[in-house]
Amino acid sequence: MDLLAERKTKTVYKENNRTIKLFIENYSKSNILNEALNQARVEETGLNIPKLLEVTKMENRWALISEYIEGKSLDELMNEHPEKQEEYMNMFIEIQLNILSKKSPMLNNLKEKMKRKIAETDLSDTIKYDLNTRLESMPKHNNVCHGDFNPSNIIIKEDGTAYIIDWAHASQGNSSADAARTYLIFNLEGKKEKAEEYLNKFSEKSGIEKKYIQKWIPIVAAAHLSKASEEEKTFLINWIDVVDYA
Amino acid sequence: MNKDYDIVDDIESLEKAITRIKKAQEKYGKFSQEQVDKIFKAAALAANSARIPLAEMAVEETGMGLVEDKVIKNHYATEYIYNAYKNTKTCGVIEENEAYGIKKIAEPIGVIAAVIPTTNPTSTVIFKTLIALKTRNGIIISPHPRAKKSSIAAAKIILEAAVKAGAPEGIIGWIDSPSLDLTNMVMKESDTILATGGPGMVKAAYSSGKPAIGVGAGNVPAIIDESADILLAVNSIIHSKTFDNGMICASEQSVIVLDSIYEKVKQEFIDRGCYLLNREETEKVRKTIIINGALNSKIVGQKAYTIASLAGIEVPESTKILIGEVESVEPSEEFAHEKLSPVLAMYKANNFDEALEKAEKLIEDGGLGHTSSLYINTHTQTEKIEKFSHRMKTGRILINTPSSQGGIGDLYNFKLAPSLTLGCGSWGGNSVSENVGVKHLLNIKTIAERRENMLWFRVPEKVYIKKGCLPVALEELKTVMDKKRVFIVTDEFLYKNGYTKPITDKLEEMGIMHSTFSNVQPDPTLASAKEGVKAMNSFEPDCIIAIGGGSAMDAGKIMWVMYEHPEIDFMDMAMRFSDIRKRIYTFPKMGEKAYFIAIPTSSGTGSEVTPFAVITDENTGIKYPLADYELMPKMAIVDADLMMKAPKGLTSASGIDAVTHCLEAYASMMATDYTDSLALRALKIIFEYLPRAYEKGAEDSKAREKMANAATMAGMAFANAFLGVCHSMAHKLGAFYHIPHGVANALMIDEVIRFNSSNTPVKMGTFPQYSYPHTLERYAEIADYLNLGGNTNEEKRDNLIKAIDELKEKIGIKKTIKEYGIDEEEFLNKLDELSKQAFDDQCTGANPRYPLIEEIKQMYLRAYYGGEV
Repeated sequence: MDLLAERKTKTVYKENNRTIKLFIENYSKSNILNEALNQARVEETGLNIPKLLEVTKMENRWALISEYIEGKSLDELMNEHPEKQEEYMNMFIEIQLNILSKKSPMLNNLKEKMKRKIAETDLSDTIKYDLNTRLESMPKHNNVCHGDFNPSNIIIKEDGTAYIIDWAHASQGNSSADAARTYLIFNLEGKKEKAEEYLNKFSEKSGIEKKYIQKWIPIVAAAHLSKASEEEKTFLINWIDVVDYA
Repeated sequence: MNKDYDIVDDIESLEKAITRIKKAQEKYGKFSQEQVDKIFKAAALAANSARIPLAEMAVEETGMGLVEDKVIKNHYATEYIYNAYKNTKTCGVIEENEAYGIKKIAEPIGVIAAVIPTTNPTSTVIFKTLIALKTRNGIIISPHPRAKKSSIAAAKIILEAAVKAGAPEGIIGWIDSPSLDLTNMVMKESDTILATGGPGMVKAAYSSGKPAIGVGAGNVPAIIDESADILLAVNSIIHSKTFDNGMICASEQSVIVLDSIYEKVKQEFIDRGCYLLNREETEKVRKTIIINGALNSKIVGQKAYTIASLAGIEVPESTKILIGEVESVEPSEEFAHEKLSPVLAMYKANNFDEALEKAEKLIEDGGLGHTSSLYINTHTQTEKIEKFSHRMKTGRILINTPSSQGGIGDLYNFKLAPSLTLGCGSWGGNSVSENVGVKHLLNIKTIAERRENMLWFRVPEKVYIKKGCLPVALEELKTVMDKKRVFIVTDEFLYKNGYTKPITDKLEEMGIMHSTFSNVQPDPTLASAKEGVKAMNSFEPDCIIAIGGGSAMDAGKIMWVMYEHPEIDFMDMAMRFSDIRKRIYTFPKMGEKAYFIAIPTSSGTGSEVTPFAVITDENTGIKYPLADYELMPKMAIVDADLMMKAPKGLTSASGIDAVTHCLEAYASMMATDYTDSLALRALKIIFEYLPRAYEKGAEDSKAREKMANAATMAGMAFANAFLGVCHSMAHKLGAFYHIPHGVANALMIDEVIRFNSSNTPVKMGTFPQYSYPHTLERYAEIADYLNLGGNTNEEKRDNLIKAIDELKEKIGIKKTIKEYGIDEEEFLNKLDELSKQAFDDQCTGANPRYPLIEEIKQMYLRAYYGGEV
């Protein structure tokens, strides 16, 4: 078994052309099964994603076993070929727009998920009130949203085919929310310029005005709070504490 | 007073609170105006007394705004609102007009959900509870969590004062621990919503499914025109922008200054203590006030100095406003947003149009429907003001007025309603575009009593009657009217047989020039009318005399219209109307160029005294029936000498036409005592004299003269009471099969009498005067007047029909359509089209029974076969 990655909650291995995602002991069973279900549902949309092969238990730990996709992540490619920055960014956005064009009626609802996440934070009642008001006024769409769409979650095979991995956060909802989330990820990684480039290009290609994407930023920032480091928290709070009109 | 109230902090306690308020409101809804006014006054006084502590509490709790300015807002919300509505009737009858039979009654709506913003947490509560109390509504306050204590305190003060003054306990309620879920529930459970807040809250209110009066964000641009009083403009803007540290949604967010005065305006801002940011400082403030396109909470309602410090800029502590000189009006420019703080964008515009464009865009970015402001010389620049008013999509357009204080009304203009809830119209997703007041919290019941239409009796101003009166009547053309040129319209037969000679002789005797057009055809066409008008135009008459039967008189009327108004369109004039009072087309004024005289040569059409004329378009075959009192001849001359030699066929067809005029005018929903008497008398004369006139012709001059009068009287009756479905059907029968008009009516009238006299018609006619189907009684009245006998109304009606049949027989009219040689197959094939067209005839509208097309078809069939279908 080759070790591919190690995270707080899981370890990822490769074995016989299969990817094994092994979760830590006591990790929420419902989260794991939800991720498996998400992946199964997205498979049905026809998108290029690794097929889920097994949900199983290994040494008392839950594991998700999927196809292994041989290739490099888009993130790696971006780092290796700075000269192809623009090409990769275009490709990145095209893939996201392709995902967003899909429907999967049984996926979790993005707005409900956001509402739950806001409730889980320890933000003040005032801020939660404003965030909920903002969230509730957002249009209810039903596009497939990856929820953690960033270059490291795209694997490019040698023949150039792109596969999208890691569907743990998938839901159905508003495209702008997914774009706001991607914008936030770039910023949290300190890639401010890339974030702006992404936002401008996404707006241009999708025809969605930047201000509609920006409306989601306080919400996706709040939703990310629980996973954030102390340093990130200060940054996020600054983005969350805004008003439409007091 | 420190009462204990049940805490509302979850769904259950909120449900209980709403039930309490509903119960209280049920009682309060029965209060009198006097009781309500007492409560309204007591509540306003109590809130006014607490204006300072409430202002202090709001500033302390929210950390925003200025105590002194919040005192003004509280003062305003009590005093101005009380003053505006103290005498307004909000209970029971608020308006009544006996003559028109209209009464309006004000009723409360029920329970109002009041969503309160953090910017005005006490004054908005005062405002909304006061107008709710004045309108006998209950109200539940949903405060913003950041300002809940002060909002609740204001509500408590008002509740306690209201209860002390007699209001039911619990008429006002509130949420103690606000959350969006509870706010949503309040909105869903209430009867209407007064939502003040940002776009999100307004949207939530409208999504609740309850009627909402929501207001949204403003992004007020202020243009300073070259003609403006700069001192007044700049200081008004400063006064407004600094009010409560810029937290009024109507306050200026941008100032757009015309190039030629830009430096002067800028200097005035600086001289009065505003701080012009340099390029670098502007950038720092940009990043401080707006984060990802949204307003940073930390700057809302703060002093300019505080905001500068947050941005890392040093400015004097007394700085009034931070001004950024910027260019873009796009949302990507942070200064172009609503800032709710003493931060102002300043734009330079090369000309007024550019200023308008900028203002328009700023409003579109985030202030649609709210407020716009213009500083200008109102005496010299009315055109610019008009342009501005036209272009700004805002509910309030303020001129030379500080917009914060000006927008809320009654401070800088005393006809703008005072309010702390400013409607933004559909542009802002609101149901109202004006300042919200008590009228928006009332259900108005309109009690409309049945009233009847005004009717009239209109005839030519002069009707001259007597065998041999023609030359006498014409005399006044010279002696009274001094007419110079007379144009005569007639048909070839009459012309050749010397009917116009007595007229021309008389005219020549008086030295009046004349010209005659004698080419009128039966069923006159537009082409022949045009030909006549051509002659008329070159002759330029000041008087037109139409002499002949219906065709000549109708043609004369049409030529008269075309001569006086060559611009008219017949399609417009002939457009069917359902009520002549409400018709869309306004008929042109007639009689300015020429005086119109009608002289009948047959007894029947009545056209000499009617406002009707029919003309046919020879190209399409379409008949244009024109109807308007402008078409009424000015003078009618009824001289039996002209009718003596009428042939039998004409005597019978026109005589029976007059019978149907009487019968239809009498049965019409618009019949009056005036038309009834004419119709009855005319019928009596016709029944007696028509057979004589038919039989003896010129030998019986008395019968001729009687018939002449009867036909004109019948004309007067239907000129005012109109006709009915018999004429509708006769018109189309005539058009389809060239049956003479009078004969066509004669063929249909029996069926129409039977049809109309039903006491259980499928549909009765719509006219306020026609209260129930009573046409049977009307026919019985006619039978009685004609002494036809019969015991019941039905018998009398049948006797009437019998009498008509006998009359028809005496004057040689056949019994059925079939007998007139109409081919059965052709008749049946065209019957549907015939029926549909008859249904749509102008005459159908006055009929007392509204006919279905199928019913018209049945009448046609019975008339075709003679009763047996």
